[in-house]
Amino acid sequence: MERKTIIIDPVTRIEGHAKITLHMNEKGRVEDARFHVTQFRGFEKLCEGRPFSEMPSLMARICGICPVSHLIASAKACDALLAVKIPPTADKLRRIFGLAQVVQSHALSLFHLASPDLIFGMDGDPARTNIFGVLEQNPTLAKDGIQLRKFGQQIIERLGGKRIHPAWIVPGGVSEPLTEDNRDAILKALPEALQIAERTLEWFKSVTENFREEISVFGNFPTLFLGTIKDDGGLTFYDGKLRITNASGDVIANGLDPVHYAEYIGEKVEPWSYLKSTYYKPLGFPEGIYRVGPLARMNVADRCGTPRADQEMAEFHELQRTAVLSSFHYHHARLVEILYCVERMEQLLTDPEILSKHVRAFARPNALEGVGACEAPRGTLFHHYKIDEQGLMRWSNLIIATGHNAVAMNKSILQVGKHFVHGDKMTPGMLNRVEAVIRAYDPCLSCSTHAAGHMALKVELLNASGEVVDRLCRS
Amino acid sequence: MTRVLIIGYGNPLRHDDAIGWRAAEELARWLPVDDVDVLIRYQLTPELADVVSESNAVIFIDAGDAGEPGDLTCERIEPERERGGFTHECSPGTVLEYCEKIYSRRPRGFQVTLCGEDFDYGEGLSPKVEASLPHLTALVGHLVKSESSRPNAA
Repeated sequence: MERKTIIIDPVTRIEGHAKITLHMNEKGRVEDARFHVTQFRGFEKLCEGRPFSEMPSLMARICGICPVSHLIASAKACDALLAVKIPPTADKLRRIFGLAQVVQSHALSLFHLASPDLIFGMDGDPARTNIFGVLEQNPTLAKDGIQLRKFGQQIIERLGGKRIHPAWIVPGGVSEPLTEDNRDAILKALPEALQIAERTLEWFKSVTENFREEISVFGNFPTLFLGTIKDDGGLTFYDGKLRITNASGDVIANGLDPVHYAEYIGEKVEPWSYLKSTYYKPLGFPEGIYRVGPLARMNVADRCGTPRADQEMAEFHELQRTAVLSSFHYHHARLVEILYCVERMEQLLTDPEILSKHVRAFARPNALEGVGACEAPRGTLFHHYKIDEQGLMRWSNLIIATGHNAVAMNKSILQVGKHFVHGDKMTPGMLNRVEAVIRAYDPCLSCSTHAAGHMALKVELLNASGEVVDRLCRS
Repeated sequence: MTRVLIIGYGNPLRHDDAIGWRAAEELARWLPVDDVDVLIRYQLTPELADVVSESNAVIFIDAGDAGEPGDLTCERIEPERERGGFTHECSPGTVLEYCEKIYSRRPRGFQVTLCGEDFDYGEGLSPKVEASLPHLTALVGHLVKSESSRPNAA
């Protein structure tokens, strides 16, 4: 049998543009896999020469799904340029803003993208394996997804204004304090969101038994895990130090200052992808590969710090005696995090200081270099800026969550491909599993112009000479 | 209930992909606020079905890439069930389908598209597209007037 390559281009149900290449050997077995990101991100160049104060609102436009994370990381980098400590209330309001976005982003991933596979199975009828099939099969779940998205979006609108890219978070704090009406309205919405999170978690745990085979090969391998934790080891999305744990669950680095990320995180550029692959420098590449995002956060944190989420985290940790390794469990981790976010928002909103009018510190630039970091829904996000004496941007570097996970996604596709893909033809079930393992990471690849992007699905089988011997298209 | 909802969407950092944003911003300045609501979005997402369900008509404004730069099209759209895979974003028809299935509402849907030519990184519309923008806003203005005067049929 001749050597073949299967190309899946682009991958559906993920953000941006990507394709998957599966390299088949002479025996018709997958021997290598690559996850290509074909869209060039030009934002780092776009910002050069602009006033640094524009960066938060500009950087927020990188992504339509997680603009708030870019806003927060950018504003924190600008806080460092101002060399200010933002008022405590601004700190809390930014946290609420970030938590609301995590809820809505996780809801989109789980309800909109993953739930069809979870309900109909990986071999489900493609005509039904979509959100409308979910609406018919489990209308409560589908409506809960919409409701949770709406919940997160409305909090963002109440705090930051109606637009998807709010400019409410600014260097030095936030532009407006929280009103009593808005606080009360958000507090009123929390119980329903909590109920949805609880209900969905129970449902998810009831269906995971159907996916034992997928769990065993969906990115189920040892890696490091990286995430931000509070001083007490608790989960946080806004601020803290980085911790790295290994596959045994042991802490191998703790208290890493995000400001010095370049000392311990390396970035490797692959010729076949625009996505930079990151690794933990002390172990080198590829031994230093790590995962970030919900699964990693569950693995690195000791506790959530809210009552119900702590219970669920304890149960999550029982999935495996070491670290929880299978990337299938990203879905589960997302649900625990939604629960945490809703509980944590209540803690913050009932803080006596939350309505304080002191929400912004003003200063001129006092440093020429600044780093801002936070936990975006998909993992740790870094914004690193350098400015000149006039406050104009001279250089920037962004490390996005999807980049941290790039190497692990490659390995995951290879593992799934080796287990499920055989022979000359790719069945819909094989194809869906290859895509599903990528969807578990919920990558956000480019936030591209949708007008120029056509998200059809194309699968090509190429022989050793590069000739297409089979083609499968789905639009 | 809002009679007409306008949703302009796209990426304002990709030159002509900002058409939806620019048009929505212009329209928000001069359309009557009582009968019209204007939203600007990076992309369409499922929860938009909620706000769409509260209108009698919805007009989606987007950039297109099939045709000559500056070409303006307006077409009725119906609820559409996207088949198989889908991304983080929805099509306008899918938002209408959500609206019908979840809220049992079926507002009249329109897609207004202005064809762009430059989708590279950067801000500002290309000259041909910039020159066509007033035609787009005028067309949407007429559409809003027409839809606002219709009896509530959603």
